[in-house]
Amino acid sequence: MTDSQLAWKNLWRNKRRTIITAASIFFAVFFALVMRSFQLGAYDRMFKNIIESYTGYLQIQHRDYFDEPTIDNSFELSQPLIDRIESDPNVNTLVPRLESFALAAAESRTQGVMVLGIDPEGEEKVTDLRSKLVKYKLTPEAIQALKKSTIPSGTKKLLDVFINESYSSEGRLLIDLDIGKEDTATALPVLRKYASFKNRYLDNNETSGAIIGDGLSDYLKAGVGDTIVLVGQGYHGTSAAGKYEVRGIVRLPAPDIDNVIVYLPIAVAQELFAAPDMVTSAVLRLKNNDNENVLQSGESLRKLLNEPLTIRTWHELNALLINQMEADSRSGMIMIGILYLVIAFGVFGTVLMMMAERRREFGMLVSIGMRKIKLAKVVSLEMLLIGFLGLAAGVIASLPFVFYGNVHPIRFTGEMGKMYSDYGFEPIMPTLLPDTYYLWQIVVVLIILLIAILSSIRKIFRINVISALRA
Amino acid sequence: MIIEIAWKNVWRNKTRSMIVITAVTIGVFAGVFSIAAMNSSIVQRIDAAVNEELSHIQINNKDFRSSSDIQNVIADFPSLIAVMEATPGVINTTGRIVIKGIASTASKSTGVEITGIDVEKEKKMFTLSKKLIPGTGSFFGSETKFNTVFIGEKLAKDLNIIRYTLTQEAFSKLETEGIPSAVILKLGSLGDQKYPTDKKFSNAVENLLTSSEKNKFSLKIKEAAWSYREGSKIILSFLDMNNNQTGAAFRVSGIYRTNNDMFESLSVFVPVNELRELTGMKEGTYHRVIARLDNNDLTDVVTRGLRESLPGLEVLSWKEIQPDLAMLADMMQQIYGIFMAIILAALAFGIVNTMLMAVLERTREIGMLAAIGMNRRKIFSMIMLESIFLSIVGGIMGMLVSGIVIAATAKNGINLVKYSEGMEAFGYTAHLFPTIDVQFFITTTILIVLTGILSSIYPARKALKLNPVDAIRGE
Repeated sequence: MTDSQLAWKNLWRNKRRTIITAASIFFAVFFALVMRSFQLGAYDRMFKNIIESYTGYLQIQHRDYFDEPTIDNSFELSQPLIDRIESDPNVNTLVPRLESFALAAAESRTQGVMVLGIDPEGEEKVTDLRSKLVKYKLTPEAIQALKKSTIPSGTKKLLDVFINESYSSEGRLLIDLDIGKEDTATALPVLRKYASFKNRYLDNNETSGAIIGDGLSDYLKAGVGDTIVLVGQGYHGTSAAGKYEVRGIVRLPAPDIDNVIVYLPIAVAQELFAAPDMVTSAVLRLKNNDNENVLQSGESLRKLLNEPLTIRTWHELNALLINQMEADSRSGMIMIGILYLVIAFGVFGTVLMMMAERRREFGMLVSIGMRKIKLAKVVSLEMLLIGFLGLAAGVIASLPFVFYGNVHPIRFTGEMGKMYSDYGFEPIMPTLLPDTYYLWQIVVVLIILLIAILSSIRKIFRINVISALRA
Repeated sequence: MIIEIAWKNVWRNKTRSMIVITAVTIGVFAGVFSIAAMNSSIVQRIDAAVNEELSHIQINNKDFRSSSDIQNVIADFPSLIAVMEATPGVINTTGRIVIKGIASTASKSTGVEITGIDVEKEKKMFTLSKKLIPGTGSFFGSETKFNTVFIGEKLAKDLNIIRYTLTQEAFSKLETEGIPSAVILKLGSLGDQKYPTDKKFSNAVENLLTSSEKNKFSLKIKEAAWSYREGSKIILSFLDMNNNQTGAAFRVSGIYRTNNDMFESLSVFVPVNELRELTGMKEGTYHRVIARLDNNDLTDVVTRGLRESLPGLEVLSWKEIQPDLAMLADMMQQIYGIFMAIILAALAFGIVNTMLMAVLERTREIGMLAAIGMNRRKIFSMIMLESIFLSIVGGIMGMLVSGIVIAATAKNGINLVKYSEGMEAFGYTAHLFPTIDVQFFITTTILIVLTGILSSIYPARKALKLNPVDAIRGE
């Protein structure tokens, strides 16, 4: 009989103990995997959202712009530079931005605003700004009309709570008004009829149009068709002033941007700030966005750029968010660590007891001539088998959850869902498909087994045959 | 009698019992302590929100929050105050003027919320005055003919009135703090250069030092180089009662430091009379009244009461002003529960295993006991008591250890400097002072005992199923 056969048979001599020990490992592995998968999945989604809706994966900036974001740290985006960048096989296009501060005034109100000069078409591809245009607004008139209409009566009561609220998606409007799936079909045409909001996106040959944030529009009391005046400081201290007509209103998920943002076509912004052809950053659209390719492109592009230009990766642009995520991730790892610690004690306890229980058996085996090294081998194999049994069961049991959660993420509704979207995150929590975190569980279980094996080997080599037989 | 036997049985195999007890102790300690640490960041956030930022209850003119127009004042301030003071639970109230404006210096400008306050009253009501950074002045303490303003550290940095400079003084401070002279020598070339931002200074320092020196000393170096000239001035501009742009230079009376970057960069405080003069707001008009309560648990009740007695005004508790914070606190409670449940379930595996072993090992003994007439119920309760003892001893030890460690760390806190930047941007501190409710201790203890009972059922049933004759014959 080979060692492994012997070990396998030994395992099933005391089925109950084997199963309980394997089950405790299974339990730890399963929970650790599912927990980690949701946590990592949520981060993954959050970063994708923020990168794809704002910062992009790579940006070209003036060296000092990151620390001191003023228009004086802008750079000229010349055609040869664009050609050189676009020659990189992984780069799709460049989307320029010119960002600065100004005072915006409408009839009686003034507010400090962030002016963002954009290439309307390019920006649509990077951040999908067009989809954030306000599509519905519950104005007092709209509410009056809706109250007389055929929408569910529960919804009518809610209307006053959301007076003057704007919506860029039907989904959120339906959630706020508590319109369930069954009523959607009847309520939507009514809402479309009375609460639709008419505005439009910027086009490239616009010379005096602007899009402003919903919060800013409320504060300035400037709606579509109204005029706003921007006054500020241009490039190298020139003075900047211009008059623009509001063409569209966007509702951005982050209130601190929504309250102060003014979008202009980039040519118009360059004229306002007396900075022809200058940009403060250029967002790169890449063909391949996985981490390795992004870093590689970043490195190779950096070589193409001359001082004072540099490449900023999304890691640098979102350093704060990454820091927050790390703190959160660390707390998740501590939880899993505690779980394994407790399980490890359970496993040690079992091993210790097994050794005590089988002292006589071991003594007998040694006395009839089994070499201690062979005995140690058999016992180690037993423990490895128990460990792998639990590990394999845990991994297999976690897979359906992880794969299902990836396709059908947990969706937060109600207050929780609102909190997520107020912070600018999608209210969903998907899982991350199996990745290196699966390997970590194996490593941890192996470490626990290793310690258990070492302690039992030590015991075996210390067996005193005479006293063991008497036990 | 059974109790005594069970207790003695626990100590017959000391190693085995100690392993289970240690597992329970460590599980309970690790669970309770990490929950205490997580909990502290929420508790501290709520404390800060209530004590420094929002107070328990705010009362505004109905239209004020939606349009923040300077005209939207509270109509009858004195009678409102009278109502508030007559409300049980309210210990302090004061009025505020709140105006949106722009703060600027020669080089920078940024949007702020200017709050006009009654200095003496706010000093009593809020701890913000105690958040003053030493050496930056006072909370409106010194007489001056200028307008005065109390601002946050983040704003001061944004406006470049806090800079980083390694002056001679800073160098000698570094020396006394035990920084090796080799490091100080390396920094010599930075002497007296002014760096407007944290980042730029850090970069300059990091270029000169090795990475191990950087890790060890960069915080201290930054602290020493932090420099601010007392009495700096900033310009505040805003609209007055007639909607005309107005503004004035304000001398910075002091700079405060909280754990909330957003609050620090947005909120500036000015004595209310100075704002009245500049805006033309009449004496006795306010935008907002804030109230402090006896304790936080009263918030919901008092808010509801006030809302009924003040129909023309908007009455909001801090939970309604920052619903995400209130919800987060609730959500965390659930997370603690789940976390503790997982730990206890893991412990249950250990206890079941051990007790099962104990039963099987003592087959003969239990058979003997049954044979000499010990009834089944007694055997059952003996096994059950043994496992309850194991879990209780472990649980108490775990609680004791956590109690001691929490008390020890609560004094100086645990400082997760590495994560402070990210956490403070959202208003959470990275310097944790673990705390936990007494209630949590009690619930956890009950749960531990329950775990002990539940995990003993299977082994105890196993013991019952033994046939006395077979059991005595066996091994």
